[in-house]
Amino acid sequence: MEDVAIVAFAQTPCYRRYQDSEPSLIMGLVNQIVAEVEIDRYEIDLTIAGSCDYLSGRAFAFIANVDGYGAWPPVYESHLEMDGAWALFEAFVRLQMGDIDSALIVASGKSSPGTPREIFPLQTNAYVSAPLGLDPVSVAGLQARALLDAGKATERDFAEVVSRSRRDGLSNPNAQVAKDVSVEDLLKQPYYASPLRKHDLPPISDGATAMLIARGKRARELCEKPVWIRGIDHRIESHHLGLRDLADSPSSRIAAGSLGLDAASLDVAELCVRFSPEEIVLRQALDLADGTKVNPSGGPLCGHPVMATGLTRIVEVARRIRNGEAGRGLGHAASGPALQQNLLCILEGDA
Amino acid sequence: MSEFPISFTLEYPYTRTLGPVIGPFLTALRDGRILGIRCGGRVICPPIEFDPDTCETLSPDFVEVGPGGTVENWTWISDPSSKHPFQSPFAFVQVKLDGADTTMTHAVKASGPDAMSTGMRVMAQFHETLEERTGAITDVYFVPEADARNQSLRPGAGEVEISTHLISLTYNDTLYPHAARFAEGLLDGKFIGQRLKGGEVSIPGKGYDAIARVMLSEADDVELAPTGTVLSYTVITPVKYRGQKETEPYLSASLILDGAGQTLVQQDIRNIPLDEFRVGMRLRAIFKPVDERSVDDVDNDWMYPSIGNVVERWESTGEPDVPLDELPESM
Repeated sequence: MEDVAIVAFAQTPCYRRYQDSEPSLIMGLVNQIVAEVEIDRYEIDLTIAGSCDYLSGRAFAFIANVDGYGAWPPVYESHLEMDGAWALFEAFVRLQMGDIDSALIVASGKSSPGTPREIFPLQTNAYVSAPLGLDPVSVAGLQARALLDAGKATERDFAEVVSRSRRDGLSNPNAQVAKDVSVEDLLKQPYYASPLRKHDLPPISDGATAMLIARGKRARELCEKPVWIRGIDHRIESHHLGLRDLADSPSSRIAAGSLGLDAASLDVAELCVRFSPEEIVLRQALDLADGTKVNPSGGPLCGHPVMATGLTRIVEVARRIRNGEAGRGLGHAASGPALQQNLLCILEGDA
Repeated sequence: MSEFPISFTLEYPYTRTLGPVIGPFLTALRDGRILGIRCGGRVICPPIEFDPDTCETLSPDFVEVGPGGTVENWTWISDPSSKHPFQSPFAFVQVKLDGADTTMTHAVKASGPDAMSTGMRVMAQFHETLEERTGAITDVYFVPEADARNQSLRPGAGEVEISTHLISLTYNDTLYPHAARFAEGLLDGKFIGQRLKGGEVSIPGKGYDAIARVMLSEADDVELAPTGTVLSYTVITPVKYRGQKETEPYLSASLILDGAGQTLVQQDIRNIPLDEFRVGMRLRAIFKPVDERSVDDVDNDWMYPSIGNVVERWESTGEPDVPLDELPESM
């Protein structure tokens, strides 16, 4: 296995509505990364972007985004209609071939012009689910009830996730929704998709995140403190909700097993908790220890720039390793309703 | 500066073939019955084509399940989306139909969340007429057992082999700042472009310079004269398609405004006969009267930018043509 490290990263704030183009969101981030590592943009060997045209309803929006990362002189690039965390996975695998040294990963999304609850049913089975408008909020409500009925969580547990996350968001300059609110106050709110309340949902956000990774020697040339990717894997569960146990995340557990994840060794875990019950499912499936700090950034409950939300989790871990708050951490990304697909990325600083 | 709200609806009318498993399932729904599929020792509903454990193709061995079932999981949707089966509050449930071993996710119409509980009994209700039952998952819904009506349904004719699903999504935005200034210029009878750092003028601008990789601002806006040169053209012969409004052939030209670094594409020419139209021809935009100008179709999209509905016509300036080897270059 080739050693690969994160050498630089940048992210925009999460905006409720960013009043300019998606390429303009990206351009500043790429400029910032290139300036930080002091290379020319065309020295980056590969660029992979993750975005979704359906979000802002622009056919070929991903082509416009090329303006953001720059295609002159022409660049070697690829695009995924997936969260940027999967673009990172593709780039990591590509670097294993050993013939190129560096890759830029760009993740961006503008959810504000559209209606996510109407768009995301299109991710589900086209014959038996999408025509029902079965949306992520409704499936999250089902996941929440499955946890209650299985005795794995209480409504208070959901509120505690929200209260802690939104409070942690107060120290995250990129957070969109952050406040100090008590569990008791949260539990007084009405249901939205029972047993979920509106605060158990993420905000609708616009935003972008970018990251530069490089193989071992090049990584050391480009930065003083490389953050090493010690393992990355992703697994998916059935599209048929009736074949899944919504109170568990077997795909996360399989990914952790394949990586040999030693949960007790993690100082920090940034989990893609779009709905508060997801944190409880993931903590149990990954067997996280009490000593692991979970979502110190506040997580997606404080800002959910779809397509960048997962990559942002990995950046939040890398940031804490680089600034010395953590030595080893786990970044998690998710796609599909109720944690259908899960990606795990283990990061570590130099010993 | 004015704000320009924009709204558009994206539509994809899908027609999909159904195959050997979903086809019979939806045919049965149209006829008022629900099918599961045998998979090893269990019955899966809705049926699937592959064994989820072995990935082997399942033979189409169907079992009728329901119409009654037990709610294994539910969520009360107090604020339905426009795509949900009901527009007043309802429950999504995972219902294990009698005779099935897995749950189906579907909708229950009930009086309120207090009427819902895990373990409750529900009954399938089908829409009454064959106009409403089209061979779709939405042909059926569920109600608490006590609310169920007896149904006597007329089966349809033939197999359901195709499903139709119109994806229709509406987006609301406002013109980005540079596009709003461009639109405002058009309403004033002016072409406002943006000068890039290399000196070329982009019209309309994008709000940034993709080559120099910097954001542009109002200070980079420049007004171009309403005169330009034809770089290319084609004759469009309309064919019928969903949304087509044209019936007669017309000219569509690419032209470059004087001082611009980029063409205006797809300019309709309806006042100059085809045999008089030439590459290199000099044209001038004649704007509509102020109160007839519209920028409703000016958009944030950059691929085929619209200059709105502000130009009455492009007419010859009377100047000599630009020789072909002296045509301006464009990006």
